[in-house]
Amino acid sequence: MAHCTSMQYEPVAEIGGGAYGTVYKARDTESGKFVALKNVRVPTDQDGLPVSTVREVALLKRLDQFDHPNVVRLMDVCATKRSDQETKVTLVFEHVDQDLKTYLDKAPAAGLSPDRVKDLMRQLLSGITFLHSNRVMHRDLKPENILVTSGGQVKLADFGLARIYSCHMALTPVVVTLWYRPPEVLLQSSYATPVDIWSTGCIFAEMFRRKPLFRGDSEMDQLGKIFEVIGLPPEEEWPTDVTVSRKNFPPLSARPITDFVPDINEQGAQLLLKMLTFDPLKRISALNALEHPYFQEEEALIQTNS
Amino acid sequence: MPLQEQLTSAAARGEAAGVEELLRAGAQVNGVNRFGRTALQVMMMGSSPVARLLLAHGADPNVADGRTGASPLHDAARAGFLDTVRLLVEAGADPEARDGARSLPVDLAKRNGHAEVAAFLEAL
Ligand SMILES: Nc1ncnc2c1ncn2[C@@H]1O[C@H](COP(=O)(O)OP(=O)(O)O)[C@@H](O)[C@H]1O
Ligand SMILES: [Mg+2]
Repeated sequence: MAHCTSMQYEPVAEIGGGAYGTVYKARDTESGKFVALKNVRVPTDQDGLPVSTVREVALLKRLDQFDHPNVVRLMDVCATKRSDQETKVTLVFEHVDQDLKTYLDKAPAAGLSPDRVKDLMRQLLSGITFLHSNRVMHRDLKPENILVTSGGQVKLADFGLARIYSCHMALTPVVVTLWYRPPEVLLQSSYATPVDIWSTGCIFAEMFRRKPLFRGDSEMDQLGKIFEVIGLPPEEEWPTDVTVSRKNFPPLSARPITDFVPDINEQGAQLLLKMLTFDPLKRISALNALEHPYFQEEEALIQTNS
Repeated sequence: MPLQEQLTSAAARGEAAGVEELLRAGAQVNGVNRFGRTALQVMMMGSSPVARLLLAHGADPNVADGRTGASPLHDAARAGFLDTVRLLVEAGADPEARDGARSLPVDLAKRNGHAEVAAFLEAL
């Protein structure tokens, strides 16, 4: 790992203080452009950085070489020794000056056009497919972590760090939003890449609604809000490795998704339901979502128009 | 965290509601954070709501970055956000200001492929 050319990057503002470290908006004084600096403190022993950290950083660098259009570039990684016990690892990412939250807030009163939603979703799912095919899950997809350039290009930020963090998290209590969390995470069951599809479904709905679909204020409240829409799942789908009992929830049945997302079209509603599927094993994958008829419709339209 | 720090962070995160609240609570719109930057300098450039709020409260659009000489107009033009560029110009940002590399905002818009922004700045 390179030694930090910390002089090159000058912080200008703190933009995030997660459980694991701090995120800064900074200036790359060589190019004049803004970058996002993520500092992670990792414990060091006499052998230097933990193997797990070195491996995760190597994975991120390898991912970056694909130059995928829908993930932010990792421009630099530096390690600065803080003490005998601790090293600061700084990840330097391309900075994008707009997130999806701002983008949705700025949309005209009538909301985003169906074509715009479809384009954003296609890019979002392309980025996720890329990450998942490299066995990286994002785990914290939300409008603040989805960046949109002035040209309308979607770029995922904050991916692949979950494992670096979870190894070394100095569990300071931070308020994390529950609104995009899938049932398996809320239930503290085991989870994998389908978590990102659930979050993407919530965001898909939000693009039409312009407000979050499930706004719970505790894990139980969040689950309750989810079941009010998708219905209480059958007993046989309830995970067996969890302490929360299905009996805590009223036996609601599913309501039409269009009650909650009235502007979505038929195919979009079908895809959304496949993403908001309780059982992670039955939930659609990112790759299959991209092949869903919802995305083919417009293609047909473009072909007949041109 | 002091109000100034909070204001610049909220601006950088594009949180318009937070910015408004902090200004109401007495945060100085032209005050600097611990890095010596004002809220307008570090705001999320794509957040025209934040730009509008700060400028309406008297944010100075002509503060240059101490290190690179870039003004908020340089940064908004480089990132290609026409709505923010417009707001800055309407509030008196100088389109003829040069950064440390002698570039004009319009140069940065062109170099980064933002034709609409370049056309707007050229027409001034
Ligand atoms: N590459 C980037 N460019 C611009 N903003 C970024 C980038 N990476 C992260 N951010 C912003 O920084 C915020 C704070 O990040 P972080 O501390 O990880 O908090 P969170 O837990 O909210 O994601 C993110 O929500 C995102 O809006
Ligand atoms: Mg994050």
